[in-house]
Amino acid sequence: MDEIIYDVFTRKSRGDTLTHVGYLTAPDEAMARVYAWTTYDEENWFEMCIVPRSAIIPVNRTDGPFAAASHEVSA
Amino acid sequence: MSGVEPGLPEMDDAVRTAFRRLLLSLADSKRILGIRYSDWLLGAPSIEAGIAASSMAQDEWGHARLLYASLKDFGDDPVALEHDRQAAEYASMEALDAPFDDWARVIAGAVVVDGALAVALRAVAEGGYEPIEGRISKMLGEEAFHRSLAEAWFRRLAGSEEGARRLKGAVEEWLAPTLRVLAPDDQGHRALVAAGLTGSAAELRARFAERISPLLELLSVDMPEPLGLDDWDEGRGRGPGHPAEEAVERARGDLNRALFVE
Repeated sequence: MDEIIYDVFTRKSRGDTLTHVGYLTAPDEAMARVYAWTTYDEENWFEMCIVPRSAIIPVNRTDGPFAAASHEVSA
Repeated sequence: MSGVEPGLPEMDDAVRTAFRRLLLSLADSKRILGIRYSDWLLGAPSIEAGIAASSMAQDEWGHARLLYASLKDFGDDPVALEHDRQAAEYASMEALDAPFDDWARVIAGAVVVDGALAVALRAVAEGGYEPIEGRISKMLGEEAFHRSLAEAWFRRLAGSEEGARRLKGAVEEWLAPTLRVLAPDDQGHRALVAAGLTGSAAELRARFAERISPLLELLSVDMPEPLGLDDWDEGRGRGPGHPAEEAVERARGDLNRALFVE
């Protein structure tokens, strides 16, 4: 199965900062939405959203989970 | 059944009996469906899928508990309903009598059984029976996630030959009996329709068809006619048989009865 990594962001109340709470793997967006809701259900979230990790563009790091090679810029 | 609580909508005896049957059928189906989902907490295709199955099991048990509690208004003791009945008294859908043997049957069950329960619940909510109207809207909110999961997985499994074969086997086995329970068009159901407490058999079947036909098309399966009423158990609102004893023992919590306090 081709699994895609999605990062999960939530805020507990309106006006709170959107916070990265974790990630999950799923084959597509429809399943990722359900998995996010059922996996990260420890709070009664005001808002939850997911982002495919491949869409996250690193700005200052070349290591770590978000540093996809395709975004690296050589000096 | 006796003792209408003050403030509850008035119903004649035939309508009360039929409405109690409908609520008990929904409650029992949700309780047993919860058990069937919970079997897949471990062994699902991914950790996330297992967590989703566990979450759905919790939702179904929560819904069942609320529905059992609502039967107090019909003279029932909810604790006795949950803990003292024999398997043969359960009114759960036939598709839930045996465990879901593989993940394809979990998904087929989520589409057919959970889907039919959602259609039935929405119709009850629209019928405006005030004591549970608000609770049902919360249940339907949770059910939207069950539907998303079920449909995403159904499409995925239908894309492989083996997955499609297994889905088709389960769906063809369960559709006709499930349609009969959803919309039996017997005396009891007609009494509820006349009282405006649920939709007509034709309406419920049409809603169910609208919901799941795009998925059935993936398997080249047509919506069947519901089973006839020849072997219909009018008292329970289902066909003959009952959920496996083992599931009912778990539903009642037999092993923990010594600790039971409520």
